[in-house]
Amino acid sequence: MARTISRRGLFAAAAGFAAPAALGTDATIAAQTPSRSSPAGLPAVWGQDFLYQWSPPEKVTRDLKPGTSQLRLSAQVNPRLTAVKDNDYATFFSNLRAGGWSAVEAASDAWLSRPRPDSEIREVKAQAKANDVVVYGLHCAGNIIAPDPEADRWQRHIIETIHAAEALGCDLILTHAGSMYPNRNWAHPQNWSRESWTRTVNALKRICKDTAGSKVDIAIEAVNTESVNNPWAHKRLREEVGDARISVGLDITNMVHPGVAFRMTEMINTTFDLLQDQIRYVHAKDFVWNTMLPGINWAMNGTGNMDYEMFLVRLSRLQTNPYVLVEFLTENEEYAQAQRIIRSIAGKVGVKVIGTQS
Amino acid sequence: MKPRSLMMIAILLPAMAFAEPDFSGTWIRDGAKSDVVPNTMYWLTRGVEAGGGRGRNTQTVIEVQQGTGRIQVTDPARPPRTLMLDGKPHAVPTDTGMQMATVVATMQGDTLTVSTSQPFGGMPGNATLKISETWSLSPDGKVLTIKTERELPALRQTFNEVYNRR
Repeated sequence: MARTISRRGLFAAAAGFAAPAALGTDATIAAQTPSRSSPAGLPAVWGQDFLYQWSPPEKVTRDLKPGTSQLRLSAQVNPRLTAVKDNDYATFFSNLRAGGWSAVEAASDAWLSRPRPDSEIREVKAQAKANDVVVYGLHCAGNIIAPDPEADRWQRHIIETIHAAEALGCDLILTHAGSMYPNRNWAHPQNWSRESWTRTVNALKRICKDTAGSKVDIAIEAVNTESVNNPWAHKRLREEVGDARISVGLDITNMVHPGVAFRMTEMINTTFDLLQDQIRYVHAKDFVWNTMLPGINWAMNGTGNMDYEMFLVRLSRLQTNPYVLVEFLTENEEYAQAQRIIRSIAGKVGVKVIGTQS
Repeated sequence: MKPRSLMMIAILLPAMAFAEPDFSGTWIRDGAKSDVVPNTMYWLTRGVEAGGGRGRNTQTVIEVQQGTGRIQVTDPARPPRTLMLDGKPHAVPTDTGMQMATVVATMQGDTLTVSTSQPFGGMPGNATLKISETWSLSPDGKVLTIKTERELPALRQTFNEVYNRR
């Protein structure tokens, strides 16, 4: 089915295509990078002419030598940074740190929902610093390739969020490749089409151009329902946008499909080998495949199919202390349980986690 | 009592006192007297029930064959187990075949204790799950009770299962 692109979409696309000339040397990354000739995916194991490769090889190397970087744990515990009662940030950050969390992020729509006076931002920064908690990012809502005119609205939202992140002293914002449906969480059948990919690349080029000079990274989170749903797509996206600020908000669980559900050690190593220090922060989740159809369900961290030892070790080998967001649990107690398990596994493999859990 | 009888009792009493219980037999789970067993493979979140646990009405039948120094357990919910009753750690594959578990089985008086340590779910890199089972028989040998404790860094679960001899 042919899709029409609105005039606004055409202008946005044209702006995107013109953008590399204005972006300096980063824009040449794509031109210098040869296309990958082999299919994206893990290597064949056996019987690839008649079997899907869903079991791991017999001998999978697990090099568990840790690095020296230390993990800063973050979580979606309540209250959120955007719902601090009476702006009592001293209590908020103190409680966060006492719970073992040494990093925090905020949702973009909630953060931008009201003006944040300079005095409030100063207080956030001061209390975060006093409690050794890093406010590292704003987690963006929206869909940058939604059907027009929504795409433009969301792209402007991302741009506004980058400016807000800059003011807050954040390292990054997080966004996504987007969906051709208005709702980003719905997998549109054309999300992996050339048109969808081009819209994502152009949207990000526009965002980079309109925020040129900013030090805030634009971390992209892979989601299986979108075009960026594997490490190879992460890498290519950065190359095609041609801006070093395009980085990775790594969520390996979001990349899981039946073909890798039981090959997570390989998947983790492949992802870290490919992306390395493009990884600006990570989401820590876990999953199992426990239904007849390929139904992937969320599991408690360290009890599902993710190889958490390997995951934490690879994080510790990044050059900077990674922010690790534990997300998609329900109650604060569940987050506390997840943290206990993560700290236990980290301790077992010699990975250091900043702070202690009460 | 005649002196000869007293002498026989004196000889047999220690042996009777230290005789190992015999768990051999076919055992039918008494759902009404047993706890609902949490799913042993999955710890799902976001309000999703893992399922697969043994409920009140589950009529599970297990077979136990006890020989010299070992017990074989056949349970329809898992691969057959052979427990070596020597109190020493034995490395055995987890149910997934991808990791190893350490199992120690010991007869202690009239109970059997089985301690297992393995990565949760038998998957690589997971949190360590410690499972302690205590098996005991009723005085008439007709009821088998298995008390299980499962311990993770973040959680401890205890449940009892009662089986009647067929």
